[in-house]
Amino acid sequence: MSPKTKAKVAFFDFTSCEGCQIELTNLGEKAFMGLLDHIEIVEFREAMSEKAQGRIDISFIEGSFSREADRKRLEDIRSRSNVVIAFGACAATGGVTALKNHMSDYSEAVYGKDAKMPHLDSSFALPVSAAIKVDYSVLGCPMSQAEFVEIVSSLLHGKEPVIPNHPVCVECKKKSTLCRYGQGDHCLGMVARAGCGAPCPADGIPCEACRGFVDHPNQEALVKVLREKGGLSEERAFNKSRIFTANLRSDAVKGAGARKE
Amino acid sequence: MPAHFIHETDFREFLKSLIASKPVIGPVVEPKSTGDKFIFDDVTSAEQLRLDYDVSLVPPKAVFFPPVQKLLEFGPNGVKSCINPREQVLLGVHFYDVKAFDQLDKLFNDKFPDNNYLANRRATTVIASSVQTVSKHAFWGSFGKDVKAKGHDGFLTKVQGGYVYETFSQKGEALLKHGKFGNASTDQVSAAKRENDAAMDKCQEKVTFTPAEISTKTRASFSNNEMWKELSKDCFSCGSCNIVCPTCYCFDVQDKWGLDQVSGERYRTWDACLTEDFAKVSLGGAGGHENFREAGAQRFRHRAMRKLTYLNEKLGGPACIGCGRCTSACVPNIANPVKIINRIMKG
Ligand code: SF4
Ligand code: SF4
Ligand code: SF4
Ligand code: SF4
Ligand code: SF4
Repeated sequence: MSPKTKAKVAFFDFTSCEGCQIELTNLGEKAFMGLLDHIEIVEFREAMSEKAQGRIDISFIEGSFSREADRKRLEDIRSRSNVVIAFGACAATGGVTALKNHMSDYSEAVYGKDAKMPHLDSSFALPVSAAIKVDYSVLGCPMSQAEFVEIVSSLLHGKEPVIPNHPVCVECKKKSTLCRYGQGDHCLGMVARAGCGAPCPADGIPCEACRGFVDHPNQEALVKVLREKGGLSEERAFNKSRIFTANLRSDAVKGAGARKE
Repeated sequence: MPAHFIHETDFREFLKSLIASKPVIGPVVEPKSTGDKFIFDDVTSAEQLRLDYDVSLVPPKAVFFPPVQKLLEFGPNGVKSCINPREQVLLGVHFYDVKAFDQLDKLFNDKFPDNNYLANRRATTVIASSVQTVSKHAFWGSFGKDVKAKGHDGFLTKVQGGYVYETFSQKGEALLKHGKFGNASTDQVSAAKRENDAAMDKCQEKVTFTPAEISTKTRASFSNNEMWKELSKDCFSCGSCNIVCPTCYCFDVQDKWGLDQVSGERYRTWDACLTEDFAKVSLGGAGGHENFREAGAQRFRHRAMRKLTYLNEKLGGPACIGCGRCTSACVPNIANPVKIINRIMKG
């Protein structure tokens, strides 16, 4: 993408809370306007109504792939886009939506007598990459603003974005944050992918791994530490990391991994 | 070495005058802790300074080599260096951390002087202080105890009734004008020596082998794959043991574009050899990459090698100075060098 012509950027949403798009509007006027000198947003439901036609340089997809019926729309976006970016935890890994994947009674619990309505029908919540090829992911729930800027800047300059593959502990320790485990608490920071700057432990709450796991999380040691040091029951220690990483765990449902080319 | 003495009652005035003259960094309570965790930070009042601290969370090397350091700014008008040292006093460094400074001084001066480090180092007056509280996991009393601390400008030892202040440089001497210092008596000097010698016996953790024995055996254990696997079974490759280590000096350099997309900055940040991608290298223009320490056990072994043997010759002693920070920082309790040494020596 040449810096002279503005890159055409679009946002699409699937199974999500749309919190990531809201988070984008929180980027702040200065940051946003700075970027708008270099990109042109052609579709963005949170802030405009027109629908994109034709080629798109960068498509951001929010939300997980949870209905076979969505496949066609995803494929259409892919075929029109030069770069596809999973936007936020739901799109990148399934995020919280994947919490349903190990349960069967959630519809009744959530919708009561309407549980059987056809539009509520869905299957496993999977990352967008289970349906189409995804080039990059902006991680986090909601998505990380800094990472969004890093990825867009990198694409504008034809450079690979830097997404860490080390745990949150690295960033936490650099800040001299008191470790949750020394405070009678627990934490998932040892298996969570860094890049957020470890704000949660700095605020005195555990990291929940909203950015997903590092490439090779030591899941056995995690359960052991949550139990022995974090004081969690056997069951809770085992289930703990489901909140954001259900599809990344060794017991993830079939097809949760990235689509094979 | 000239030794001076200042009375307890005059010490606060000395600190006040010093703080008024230039920035002073020293051990203070980590504000979110219950008063039992310490960090090195700017000291704004004499009361804040806690010379009775046990150990700091992050080592004081951060003063010269910050966790994130801007190296240069770039833009349409070229490149600008960010070396901009602040004249300051770093007060209250324990002797083991001074030993670590001495190692970093050597390493950052090896072949190519690293001026981003050295400029900060030179602009700082380092005043060590005696260990009044020994941290739970420290083992500096036994391991590498024969390697003397050097490279500091002065040393404060708390004794009955006040402080003995030894000076080792002009920079150290320059502080005298801020307080009512007199010459230390022979008794006071020997009291200070007794104080510092006694601290050496107070560590709860002890290493019973010599650094030379450990070095030889560690190297010989390189191929003991079963042992490294066993030691690293619970390792998260989280790098905490590196990040808190006063002698770790690896860093990663990255560029960050500004929002205008025409200017930006280059910065470096502490890296950690325990993390998975540390040894991942590009295979060049053809693409692809290679990780020459792909397994967690290899990375765990690498830290042991670095701390216990690889650097000994270059540094004149082991690269581990026995602070015990990695022991406290490791969530699954496997990073403790004393335990690792004992396991290696067992064979
Ligand atoms: S990642 Fe979080 S904020 Fe974003 S859509 Fe999913 S649930 Fe909402
Ligand atoms: S608080 Fe969490 S992220 Fe921080 S060091 Fe401890 S385990 Fe790691
Ligand atoms: S600290 Fe953990 S939960 Fe918090 S933002 Fe980072 S990855 Fe998400
Ligand atoms: S290896 Fe551990 S004990 Fe040794 S200097 Fe580093 S942090 Fe301190
Ligand atoms: S030894 Fe401990 S602190 Fe070091 S990387 Fe492994 S788990 Fe993290």
